[in-house]
Amino acid sequence: MLVLQNFLRGWRGGQSKLVLASLALAVAVVTSVAFLADRVEKALIDESTAFLAADLVLESNSLIEPRLSAKAREMELQTSAMMTFVSMVYSNDEMHLASVRAIDERYPLRGELSYSMFPFSADSSAVKVAESGPPSGETWVDARILPLLKIGLGDYLEFGDIKLRVSRVLIEEPDSRGSFSFYGARILINIDDVAPAGVILEGSRVKYKLLIALRDDLNPTLLSNYREWLAERLTIHQRIIDPEMAEASIADSIDKGRKFLLLSGSVGLVLSAIALALASHQFAVDEVMQVGLFKSWGLSRGRIRRFYLVYGLVIALVGATVGICIGAAVQEILVLLLSEWLPITLPRAGLMPLLIGLGTGLFCVIGFMLPAIWHLPNLPPMTVLRKDLLVHSVARAYRGVIGMLTIALLLVWYSENLLLSASILTGLLVIAMAVAVIGLILFRLSKWFSKFLGGSWRLAFANLWRRRDQNLIQLFGFSSAIALLLTMAVVRTSLIDNWKLQLDEDTPNHFLINVAPYELTGAEALIKEYSLDTAGWYSMVRGRLREFNGEEITAERREKHESLRRELNLSWAQNLPTGNSIVAGRWWGPSSEILDSADVPVSIETDLADELGLSLGDRLTFSIGGLNFEATIASTRSLSWDNMTPNFYFLFPEGVLEEFPRTYMTSLRIPPVKKLILNDLLRSYPTIQVIELDRIIERIEKIVVQITRGVEVMTSIILICGVLVMFSAISLSMSERFHESAILRTIGSSRRLLLSIQLIEFTSLGITAGFLASLGAEIAIAMVQWLLFDSAWAFHSWIWIAGPTAGGLLIGTLGTAYSRQSTTRAPLEMLRKL
Amino acid sequence: MIHVSNVSKKVMVLNAELTILESLSLKVETGESLAVIGPSGSGKSTLLGLMAGLDVPSTGTVHIAGINITEMSEESRASVRSEHVGFVFQSFHLLQSLTALENVSLPLELKNSSKPESTANHYLKRVGLKDRMHHYPRQLSGGEQQRVALARAFACRPNILFADEPTGNLDIVTGEAINNLLFELNREEGTTLVIVTHEQSLASLCSRQLHLKSGQNFTPVEEMKVKC
Ligand SMILES: Nc1ncnc2c1ncn2[C@@H]1O[C@H](COP(=O)(O)OP(=O)(O)O)[C@@H](O)[C@H]1O
Ligand SMILES: [Mg+2]
Repeated sequence: MLVLQNFLRGWRGGQSKLVLASLALAVAVVTSVAFLADRVEKALIDESTAFLAADLVLESNSLIEPRLSAKAREMELQTSAMMTFVSMVYSNDEMHLASVRAIDERYPLRGELSYSMFPFSADSSAVKVAESGPPSGETWVDARILPLLKIGLGDYLEFGDIKLRVSRVLIEEPDSRGSFSFYGARILINIDDVAPAGVILEGSRVKYKLLIALRDDLNPTLLSNYREWLAERLTIHQRIIDPEMAEASIADSIDKGRKFLLLSGSVGLVLSAIALALASHQFAVDEVMQVGLFKSWGLSRGRIRRFYLVYGLVIALVGATVGICIGAAVQEILVLLLSEWLPITLPRAGLMPLLIGLGTGLFCVIGFMLPAIWHLPNLPPMTVLRKDLLVHSVARAYRGVIGMLTIALLLVWYSENLLLSASILTGLLVIAMAVAVIGLILFRLSKWFSKFLGGSWRLAFANLWRRRDQNLIQLFGFSSAIALLLTMAVVRTSLIDNWKLQLDEDTPNHFLINVAPYELTGAEALIKEYSLDTAGWYSMVRGRLREFNGEEITAERREKHESLRRELNLSWAQNLPTGNSIVAGRWWGPSSEILDSADVPVSIETDLADELGLSLGDRLTFSIGGLNFEATIASTRSLSWDNMTPNFYFLFPEGVLEEFPRTYMTSLRIPPVKKLILNDLLRSYPTIQVIELDRIIERIEKIVVQITRGVEVMTSIILICGVLVMFSAISLSMSERFHESAILRTIGSSRRLLLSIQLIEFTSLGITAGFLASLGAEIAIAMVQWLLFDSAWAFHSWIWIAGPTAGGLLIGTLGTAYSRQSTTRAPLEMLRKL
Repeated sequence: MIHVSNVSKKVMVLNAELTILESLSLKVETGESLAVIGPSGSGKSTLLGLMAGLDVPSTGTVHIAGINITEMSEESRASVRSEHVGFVFQSFHLLQSLTALENVSLPLELKNSSKPESTANHYLKRVGLKDRMHHYPRQLSGGEQQRVALARAFACRPNILFADEPTGNLDIVTGEAINNLLFELNREEGTTLVIVTHEQSLASLCSRQLHLKSGQNFTPVEEMKVKC
């Protein structure tokens, strides 16, 4: 009660305002961004479940036993059955090898099935979302099958023994992966029509799928329980597909956005933690007199300790409450900005954010405030009579270690990302060390240098050394704030630039594949006619994997890996394609070297290599057009999915695949108004396959625009945190500065002199801080870019100019403005205040 | 009330021992007022701290109200202070975040006395600050601040009141007023008073005076001038 009163009084007096503000900000950052990150995570999973059309898919090469789906329904999960296979479809004179998807009325469990009544329409408003797929007797088809079969909507096509009415144009099924499909045009039919059609014969290659989804109101453990149950009963013909296998390019964008939110949240958290530590330090200094009084009144050490423990608790409580409110507001803003993309989830149970907020508040108080005030109960009672008594606070080194540990724990707990935490911590540690070493040297130099100066310069430069203890703390505060802000600025810019690049007006949104050599000039001419540009033609050879290290691939193994069952695209390149990077081994040198050697090298995509258990030096035998072709793995590569250019799992040196029949592929940007080119193209060259990515790209664009907005909101929060740190640091030295100014004023110094001393001191501190910050930022950025965003490190020369400039300007102005009142008030009034 | 016998105080300063007080003995009887006079740096504050139990002597003993505080733990000394001792300081030591009223009632609250507010109210009226109760220290003049400090000290009804240069920060006229108030209150409450000062006018109001000489000078008991 007394503590509470005292707290309120303290608030009025302003002692705890900074402590509270920083604590509240820390809690706000944790609650708002953590929960946002959570929602983004959810959105990410939703996005990927949409790509599965379910939460979980069981894929099988043989009929799925009914008990598997029965069990799912028994566990109140939703199920849908699906078959995919390739089958001939006919019209009067034409035929086409279509890729058929047979679905039941519950499909899709997740995501949207869209159709249109207008083939090749450029009008996106013509696209409608269907509740369920075609009923028995009908089929929805890929628009391009219409010119191929020379039919229109409402006509019939022959499918085995039955006829199906073509009722709608199929635009997009959620699980039609945007990746390569070398089957023909897609048609969607009802699963009940499969048996009557009699198209499935002994030995037909059919993929059976069981789609599983969890009703939103049910407990997610149901799903994981079922998954476990299912996993124990899998045959070698079956595998489970999880939502993590989302469309790579979208997942990548979202993932980077999510990481950025996480990074900015972490930076905000660290900044407010530093502000809190600084404010606590000042708080402890301010409390010395009060504790001396308590002592002189005979309060026991235990009593004083309890007093401050409860005080800390009250601060934690109030700070957390305020923080939770701010956090909730910020979260609402963020959710509003991201609403088009984030799923509208019901608010979480009210208790969780509260607990996390309170936990953070308490943890911060324990880690930053308690060490700062720990010594207060042990102050010698004589402090009331003698101001100069040595105050044995917890040694600064210990407090530094405790503070860093607390920051580390907070970071890891909050971000659940060791790499991110390590990057930020390394940056901070480098700054701490640089401050201790370089800062001290600079202060010493300035002291020496002051001898050659006059007037305010001399006093200011001498002050830097005289007040070095305080200045070092301030310097650390300033540098870490500037460094973290710089880090954010760089990562944000590079991220947004990256997205812009990716969503450039010219980003290809269609792939043309399977273009025969003799079709090339014709296709090229047609594209020119529509004044479109391709991203260049890639040639490739189709082949299957046959042997690993001279041993025939077993049927069992083929069942397991889809890539062993289908034809692969083998291409070649002299130079490593952009966006590819070597993971292991080495890229080949000049072609002459390779042609001479007996071994043909091949470079394989790293994930595929892992999946197949292949490593450098393994010999692969491909079967290409009936001929065997041997190559040795010379390198593994990772691919970049965000530039929408063709990617190849297998790359060979130029020249080695010369004798095999090749086809061409390209990617190009087709704006909506020119989509009719596909009709012309397919009419002239029916065997060309088109992959339409425009809808996926639209989706990415929408997501990116929204994430970018979220990023901006976060950036402003971080800015506030940064300013708070600077403010806390500046106020550290204020009472001393007031005192000195008052004395200087009494002896008749002009206001101008006083102001210029402050200006020179703070500006020098700011410039030094900016310089040290650039060092820390460069390291943190390098680590973040490398560890978190997989992008290359670059030296940022502008940082080294921006850091010191911004530091000097900002801290010089802020500090001088803050200490202005010390020069305007009457000196006596100033002295009495102290 | 206070019995200081053969007390010396030495401190380590830069690895050298500095003797502040040496072999000092004195007695302060209940209800008496003692002025400790001496130039700056002569050890007045140090002696005050020892007598009040804020610090312990290097050798010798100090008794407060018959209790030997030299052999006690700091915690037990605290409880002795809490029971018997009050302070007035040169620089007032008011808590800036509290109003005058709150400054006075805070120690009462900490000592769990009944009705701290009304007691504080009473004493503030007594020192003539009826209209300034809800003002903050920074809104008060130096003299007014010291009045608040006096009210705070007397409100706890200590047996012994220690004042370390209570008028050192005030101008002469204001200082006089504070001195008078201090002694008036002292008479009303029957408090034992120990005042450190270098002002003769204040010292002369006390029943006894103790002169400390500058430096580490040994100050024998005999030197104490006793006034009626
Ligand atoms: N804890 C201490 N450490 C170092 N020097 C001290 C300490 N306490 C007192 N002194 C020194 O002892 C001398 C007497 O101090 P003090 O009692 O404050 O004198 P006064 O109050 O008479 O001005 C001063 O020179 C002071 O610097
Ligand atoms: Mg003194």
